[in-house]
Amino acid sequence: MPTESAPVLRVEGLTKRFGSVVACERVDLSLHPRRIHGILGENGAGKTTLMRMLVGLHTPDAGTIEIDGQPCEISNPVDAATYGIAMVHQHLSLVEPLTVWENVALGDNHRLDPAQTRDDVVRLGERYGLPVDPNAVVADLPIGLRQRVEILKSLRRDPRVLILDEPTAMLTPDEAHELFGAIKQLVEEGDRTVALVSHRLDEVIEATNDITVLRRGVVIERTASTDATADSLALAMIGTRPVALKVRTATASTGRVVLRISDAVVAGVEGQRQLDHLNLTLNAGEIVGMAGIENNGQHELIDVLSSLRSLDGGQIRLDNNEVETGSPGAMEAAGIAVIPADRRDSGVVLEMSVAENLALSDTPIAGRLGLIDLDAMRTSAEALIDEYGIDCVGPDAPMWSLSGGNQQRVVLARELCRNPKVLIAAYPTRGLDVGAVAFLNEQLLAAAARGLAVLLVSNETDELLTLATRIVVMFNGSVIGELTGDERDRTRLGLLLGGRTS
Amino acid sequence: MMTRDRAESSSNVSTTSWIEVVALYVMSITLALMLSALLVEATGGSAGTVVEALVSGSLTSPGRWGQTIGIAVPILLVALGTIVSTRGALVNIGQEGQLLIGAGCGAYASVHLGNHHQWPGGVVLVAIIAAGIAGGALWAGIAALLRYKRNVPEVLSTLLLVAIASQVVAYALRRESLLLAPLGRGQGTQTQQTLAVPESARMPSPEIFGNEVSLSLVLALLAAFMVAFALARTIWGFRLTVLGHNARVAQRSGVAAARYGGIAMVTSGAFAGLAGAVMLVGGDFGNYRLSAGFAANIGWTGLLVALVSRGRVLPAVLIAFILACLRTGSGFLAATGVERRITDVVQALLILALLIPPALLYVRERRRTEAALDSRDLS
Repeated sequence: MPTESAPVLRVEGLTKRFGSVVACERVDLSLHPRRIHGILGENGAGKTTLMRMLVGLHTPDAGTIEIDGQPCEISNPVDAATYGIAMVHQHLSLVEPLTVWENVALGDNHRLDPAQTRDDVVRLGERYGLPVDPNAVVADLPIGLRQRVEILKSLRRDPRVLILDEPTAMLTPDEAHELFGAIKQLVEEGDRTVALVSHRLDEVIEATNDITVLRRGVVIERTASTDATADSLALAMIGTRPVALKVRTATASTGRVVLRISDAVVAGVEGQRQLDHLNLTLNAGEIVGMAGIENNGQHELIDVLSSLRSLDGGQIRLDNNEVETGSPGAMEAAGIAVIPADRRDSGVVLEMSVAENLALSDTPIAGRLGLIDLDAMRTSAEALIDEYGIDCVGPDAPMWSLSGGNQQRVVLARELCRNPKVLIAAYPTRGLDVGAVAFLNEQLLAAAARGLAVLLVSNETDELLTLATRIVVMFNGSVIGELTGDERDRTRLGLLLGGRTS
Repeated sequence: MMTRDRAESSSNVSTTSWIEVVALYVMSITLALMLSALLVEATGGSAGTVVEALVSGSLTSPGRWGQTIGIAVPILLVALGTIVSTRGALVNIGQEGQLLIGAGCGAYASVHLGNHHQWPGGVVLVAIIAAGIAGGALWAGIAALLRYKRNVPEVLSTLLLVAIASQVVAYALRRESLLLAPLGRGQGTQTQQTLAVPESARMPSPEIFGNEVSLSLVLALLAAFMVAFALARTIWGFRLTVLGHNARVAQRSGVAAARYGGIAMVTSGAFAGLAGAVMLVGGDFGNYRLSAGFAANIGWTGLLVALVSRGRVLPAVLIAFILACLRTGSGFLAATGVERRITDVVQALLILALLIPPALLYVRERRRTEAALDSRDLS
């Protein structure tokens, strides 16, 4: 990987903390001219934070940034632009009702010259193989072309270093391939440097010259792409962290099939599919782990199982009876309990009391003549507060006055007290402290031991490896692989997370 | 069976004390009254005489408080309906139109059953009220249908339906087959109004301490109690509250938004329609006849009351009465030489004074909540 030329941009000891969370710790990075540098890592590894520091969107807590050997201070994107650094963000920031050239011209501070801007769009597009009609309205363009507009917008400022943050996250494979062709051309003919942030193993190996792997804010590995294999990168990305919690894995199940999801399809925008013929079965008494990088269909699946959205194809059967999707409360009534990914979004009503939150589906509090049975509500709330150790001033305490961990206990208590057959736990320990995490893990194991089929959706590799009997991996809206028994190792998991099935 | 983590304690969460709340309201109302007094003095009047006139016009002069109640009742009815729809997080701002349609339907029943067919008074009265409820419910139902079938924001549809309502009623008032009163003997031109509600079909107003108090007061207070009870004590109210606070939680736990939201919307319209019918049979508006401009801003005022009372029934009763006092009291202002419209300004100032404390409290509570949540989640 060592190159003869001096680096265009060199970063030393860059550190950034958010509160007590370390996003980047003493990161060193060198970007060389005419090379594509891949930055690889899991969600939350610090990739984006690092890049945002390079364009002045975050201020580093420590460390230096040098450009052409000169130390410089970048405190906002305008500074970055004067140094010739531009970034194309994962979430595009285009004004949809405006045309392509208008979007490209946004942020210019000299007089608007429509003809010149249109020419620029056409010229740059032709030169780098990124053609797009300058007069098209952005709202009418597919995602791939919108991203082109965003790249052209950056290129017109003639940057020396172009940062692309997860550029293929929303692209089809064909579009991604085209994009990489354009990037290669850009680097070779345009004498530029590109930093490509990604979590996809294949594309990083295919498209880059150098690779830096980040894990938990620390550089784990630096390698030339020609020396890298998907295996080595996967292991570097996932790591072999010591197991933090000593918990036993749920016993391998021999239970019958409780939940069967077959050929589930949820259509997305631009003809993409958010769930693409997903098949999954859950057996009684097992914990199935569901791994996957964000936005590979997990949220859509959870929404379907929460009656929040309907399937565009396929079906869900519980104990061999089909459950109607998207119908209010149907999943819950059928016996599917859900701990949602964001409890404030669909788990609790912050403005209502603990007792009311414990009784949301109201069967236990329904009295005669459609009245609320206040006594029953209080008694059952008190019992659950006691059983699940919910720390609050009483059943009437407003939900917002509880800590995150205790709010999560309320959700758990409510979902489990109805004797469900299936428990879907989506990122149940996210944002919780160690004590609450241990409590939740215990509860999941206990639920499985009672014969529930548990689906644990998680980003935490450790959590999945310790709790789950088998792990399924989501990629592009379907399950691309399953690891059972001894196969559950980090390398295999890392490969699957990156979309590699072999 | 579980260990509690003591690190997470929830005992130190304080809510705003009621003393603070009262102090805030007193301060803000005092300020509004002082500003009003200043304004009166600046325009050459005397604040003292204005207050005297207002009190005398709304309460103390013979027969006045009966009339004030007659005006407070429809305001309160509209507010009650709005409280129901607001509970489901629906923004119904078309009460003025729903009220007018309600009054129109009531008038149709009155004209056709009462004036033409001479049905017994009691039956006609019930029919007028039922027609009013149905009319208001129908008008809000259009907005509910658009909202849940076609995703049209109800803020827009209810507001635009106000304009359509006045056109519809104006049309009916030009057709003798619908509402227009036939040309009377010796009458040169036809005025666009209906025949008066037959005397036997009017709302009885027994005299109490020299005031004619409409029985619709009993109806309104009963309705207030029912709304308060339904929202606080029934499963239906519970579900509607969940829907209003968090639609996704509601959907997940089996509350169908279209059903509960739709019913809340229609109920809200029904109350506005009832208000219109009550106005027609009460005689405080338009002298038992429907004419253009009959709604007289009662719909808007009721919406305001619901807003100011922050969706609670008891404050709504109180505020409806205060606003009615300002309305009847302003009739006596002419004698003091002060411009009658000054009461509009006073009313606006008072409403601002009533709206500012809840807004302040809300902002503060929200900040505390967020601060509490943030500090907890990091711990």
